Amino acid sequence: MATDTSTASSPSAAETPAAGRRRLPPELSILGVMIGMMLLFEVLGWLFVGQSFIANPLRLKIMILQESEIGIIAVGVTQTIIIAGIDLSSGSVVGMTAMISASLAQAADAPHAVYPALTGLNPIFPVAAGLLCGLLVGVVNGWLIAYTKIPPFIATLGMMVSARGVANWYTNGQPIGNLTDSFAEIGAGWWPVIIFLGVAFIFHIALRYTRYGKFTYAIGANPLAARVSGINVERHTVLVYMFAGLLSGLCGVVHTARAISGQAGVGMGFELDAIAAAVIGGTSLSGGVGRMTGTVIGAIILGILTSGFTFLNVDAHYQEIIKGGVIIAAVVADQYRQRRRKSV
Amino acid sequence: MKRTLIALAAATVLASPAFAAKIGVSMDKFDDNFLTVLRNGMADYAKTQPGVTVQIEDAKDDVSKQISQVQNFIANGVTAIIVNPVDTSATAAITKAAAEAGVPLVYVNREPADVAKLGPKAAFVASNEVESGTLETKEICKLLDGKGNILVISGQLSNQAAVQRTKDIHDVIATDPCKGIKIIAEQTANWDRTQAQNLMTNWLSKGLEFDAVVSNNDEMAVGAIQAMKAAGVDTKKAIVGGVDATQDALASMKAGDLKVTVFQDAAGQGKGAVDAALALAAGKPVDKKVYIPFQLVTPANMDQFIKKN
Repeated sequence: MATDTSTASSPSAAETPAAGRRRLPPELSILGVMIGMMLLFEVLGWLFVGQSFIANPLRLKIMILQESEIGIIAVGVTQTIIIAGIDLSSGSVVGMTAMISASLAQAADAPHAVYPALTGLNPIFPVAAGLLCGLLVGVVNGWLIAYTKIPPFIATLGMMVSARGVANWYTNGQPIGNLTDSFAEIGAGWWPVIIFLGVAFIFHIALRYTRYGKFTYAIGANPLAARVSGINVERHTVLVYMFAGLLSGLCGVVHTARAISGQAGVGMGFELDAIAAAVIGGTSLSGGVGRMTGTVIGAIILGILTSGFTFLNVDAHYQEIIKGGVIIAAVVADQYRQRRRKSV
Repeated sequence: MKRTLIALAAATVLASPAFAAKIGVSMDKFDDNFLTVLRNGMADYAKTQPGVTVQIEDAKDDVSKQISQVQNFIANGVTAIIVNPVDTSATAAITKAAAEAGVPLVYVNREPADVAKLGPKAAFVASNEVESGTLETKEICKLLDGKGNILVISGQLSNQAAVQRTKDIHDVIATDPCKGIKIIAEQTANWDRTQAQNLMTNWLSKGLEFDAVVSNNDEMAVGAIQAMKAAGVDTKKAIVGGVDATQDALASMKAGDLKVTVFQDAAGQGKGAVDAALALAAGKPVDKKVYIPFQLVTPANMDQFIKKN
C-alpha cells in the first residue's frame, strides 16, 4: 500500500504519460461497487418485495438525503486524512453548533427562549454563529496539531470530549425547540443534498486545480519534502483543520434545521460514519491519497445500504453486523482491484 | 475541608429540633431534563413538609462518586438517603453501606439490580415501565378499532426501556380486542428524530400501506411526522403515537399531528421518594416497590400536561 501511496499521491502524477497509458481514475472501481450494490438490491427487491429498488424517486432522494449530513463532514474529514491526520471531533462539534445555532433561531413566540431578547432573528445570524463556532474549533484543532505537535488523533479526541461538554453545558442538556420557519427551510426538501454536493464540488475543485490542493497532497505524501519545497506546513495544516471544523459547523446547522430542534446529544458517531465514507471512497489513512468524488460515492454507498436494508425489512440487529462487513468488503475489493491493475 | 464539612453538618443536626428529618439525595446527573424535573419535585415537596430538609448531590454519572456521596451522607448522620442510581447493576455497595449503618434507603426512577435483596429499611420508587408502551399501544388499538397495519419505530436496541416498550406493543396486539392489528415493519431509529425521519421516508418510498405508527418515544414520533409531512401525507389524519409527553410532542399534538403520548410523572416520583424515605425513617412499613402511574395523554387531556415536564 505504501508504494501505491507515492505513485497515486497527486492527481498530476496519476495523469503523467509515465504510466504508459492514461489510467482510469481510482474511484471508478468504487463506483462499480456502488452500482453493483444497487443492482443487487434491485434483484433482491424483485425476488422478495415484488417491486423495483431503483425506479422510485422518493427512495433515490432519501438514499442521498439521509447521508448528506455525514457527507458534509466527510468532505472535511477527507482532507484531514489526506494530510495524514484525522478529525474525531466532528460529531461533537455538530452537537455544539446545533445548540448554539438553535439558541439564536428561536421564533418570537417561543415560550422558554434561551435568549428572550434574541428571538425571531433572520436565519443569517444562527447560521453565521454555527459556522463561526465550527471554524474556531477547527482553528484550535489545527493549531494544537501544527504547533504543539501532538498527534491529530489525541488533539481531536480531546476536542471531541470538550465540544460535547460545551453542548451539554449550554442549556444543561435541555433541548431547544420552537425554531423559526425560515431557519427550518435550510434543512427542508433537497437543501441538505444541495449543500452537501455544493461543498463537495467546491473542495473537489480546490483539491484538484488549486495550490491549496497541491499543498494538501504534498504534505500528506511527505511532510518533509513539502517543507523543503517551501510549503508552510504548519499554516496549511491549520487551514485544513479550519475547513474541517467549518464543515462540521455547517453540518450542525443543517442537522438542526432538519430536525427543527437543537439537542446536545446529536451527532454522536457522525465522525466515524464520515471516516467510513471517506475510506470506502478510496481515501488512504496513511495520507496523500483521496478524492472528493470517492467520498461522495462512499457516502452514497452508506445511504444505499441503509435504504436497502429497510427496503428488504432486514432485522435491525442484523443490519449493523452486515453494514460493518460491507464496509470492510468494499475496501478490500477496491484494494484488490487496484493491486491487480498495477501488476498488469 | 471534609472534616469541617462533617463538623458543620453535625452542628446543624445537633442544632435542629428533634423531629427534623434530613434527607441526603444522590442524583445520577443534574444536566438531564427529566431528572431535573424529578429533582425539583423532591426539593419542592420537601419544602412543604415541616422540619424536612434535603441535600442534593450530583454524582456526575460516576458510580464511585455516588458511593462516596452515600458514605458521606451516612457519616453526616442523615435520617434517610435517596439514590437515583448511576448504574443499576452496581447498587450492591450502596445497599450494603446503608443497611450496615441502619439508614433508610430509597432508590428512585431506576430499578436496582438487587431490588429483590433490599432490606427492611429500603424501597424502590419509580414508574412501571411496562405501563408506558401498553398505554400507548392500547390507545392506538382503540383509535384503529382493533384492526389495521402498524409501523413500529423502536429506540436503541441495547436499552431496557426500548426493549420493554417494543415488547409491550407485541403483547397488546396479541390480546383479543387488538388481534386485527399487524406489524408490517419494525426498525430502530435509536431514539433520534432525524434517524426516524430517514426511516419513515424509506418506508414511505416502499409504498407501505399503514394505518398507524407506534414509536418508543416522542422524538422519533415527531421525526416520523416530519417525514410524512415532507412526503405530502396528511398528518392530521394519520395516527402516530409516542412516549414522554415532551414539550415538542405536546406542541405537535396541539397542531393536530401527534395523537397519543404517555406522561411519566417525574415530579410525582420525586414526591413519592421523599414520602417513602420519611415513612421508613418513622419506622412505618413501605412497599418494596412503589409505582407512580404513567398517564395517557391525548388531545382531550393534553392541556393539563403542558406545564408539567
